[in-house]
Amino acid sequence: MTTGRTSAPVPDVLVTGRGAITSVGEGADLVFEALAAGRSGIVDGLGRANAFDPEQWMTAKEARRTDRFAQFALAAAQQAATEAGLLPVDESGAPGGVEAERLGVILGTGVGGLNTLQDECQAFFANGERAVSPNFVPMMMPNAGAAVVAMRLGAHGPGFSVSSACATGAHAIGEGLRLIERGEADIVVAGGSEAAMTSLCLAAFRRMGALSRAGISRPFDARRDGFVMGEGAAVLVLERAEHARARGATVYGRIAGYGASNDAFHITQPDENGRGARQAMLAALADADASRGDVDYINCHGTGTPYNDRIETIAIHGLWNGDAPPASSTKSAIGHLLGAAGAVEALVSLEAVRRGLLPPTINYEQADPDCDIDCIPGEARSVDASLAVSNSMGFGGQNACLAVAAA
Amino acid sequence: MSDSPHSDEQILQAIRDELTRIKVPDAEKATMSTDWRDLDVDSLDLVELVTALEDRFTVKIADGELKEISGVGDAVRLVQRLSDAGAPA
Repeated sequence: MTTGRTSAPVPDVLVTGRGAITSVGEGADLVFEALAAGRSGIVDGLGRANAFDPEQWMTAKEARRTDRFAQFALAAAQQAATEAGLLPVDESGAPGGVEAERLGVILGTGVGGLNTLQDECQAFFANGERAVSPNFVPMMMPNAGAAVVAMRLGAHGPGFSVSSACATGAHAIGEGLRLIERGEADIVVAGGSEAAMTSLCLAAFRRMGALSRAGISRPFDARRDGFVMGEGAAVLVLERAEHARARGATVYGRIAGYGASNDAFHITQPDENGRGARQAMLAALADADASRGDVDYINCHGTGTPYNDRIETIAIHGLWNGDAPPASSTKSAIGHLLGAAGAVEALVSLEAVRRGLLPPTINYEQADPDCDIDCIPGEARSVDASLAVSNSMGFGGQNACLAVAAA
Repeated sequence: MSDSPHSDEQILQAIRDELTRIKVPDAEKATMSTDWRDLDVDSLDLVELVTALEDRFTVKIADGELKEISGVGDAVRLVQRLSDAGAPA
């Protein structure tokens, strides 16, 4: 396959580092193993990253000046960069001869620094302009995560944030893939982070009817009544295959394809026919030069809202015509991480094919005829797996699908 | 002789306290000759520090004056001067 701009072959893009912060634990292996074991991180209807200690990852001063969403990004990125051998950075740059100008950072968030925004609004309305922190803007801005990570890694290549609500993490990884394919970077640190558990944001999602009133995340179950909010981050180090081989990096898998689409239908409801989701999956498979029969596992968007799961089922049936592979939602265990969800789920998909172990949908007990897919209820399943797709569908009708392959 | 109701040491200690509050490392070691660069204090830290000093010593530090203070000693002298000006005759 070739790009439109150059006749050079499109390089393979490998994953050489992984990081994650979630309510079931910190670190890629630990998070995947907890999900595969069916552990839940949801307590009292929230998937809070309770064990997270920002000062494990940054100085007290940095932590004070960094919103929680960017703290998550920095922590997950440091895990991933350490695993990839990109740290520690010294005066001569990153170790292993990595060129700082060829190292990019794309980290997304759905909503940015909401904790900061809420606190500063309160301060402003109560006490006026003098009460507003000079750190407000740099803490709240959605690109803060990408910025603090670039500073930590000494990354001088392209850097920015993407935002597409609940598809953000997948779009960030997909756009990171494209940067490398276009030849603009050798390595891109890509992912998403979110910390939106403010009283204001929870009230807003509750008012929309999107949050589970029961406080239980049960995707595809007949009793599902909304999503449970989670928080955290996941970051992958994406690397041009030749570059990774030349420096002897450990390879965890390959980002084989990326497809993005718009529902162009409704600001929150997915298209009734699953058109956008199906189109994104088709595009990801075409980009991966794979067919639907090659897919061993789908990590669903599977939010647990009545709409999403029914329509995602329609989209899957529309593509696989009754012959879909097993398809679980790990949001059942950690809730919906909004802008981080797509990144966490890309990581989960990567580990699923790497280990041949498909994580379950927990809390699934009552079948819904509108969600008649094999959602791997209860327990993880061992399989031979080489290709997975990870679905992400954001408010605004913006969809992204990643095809993830074993190395 | 200064008419300021505050001693240099009081103002210096207030600066140490406020820098500690905003988590500046080694803030307690600040002396009259410590430069902001020695403490890695940047323009955002300085805004927080000045706001706190204004509240503590009931002075008003103009934005333009902020640029004139390059270290702890400058800040102490500025608070002294503004306190003098505001002190009852």
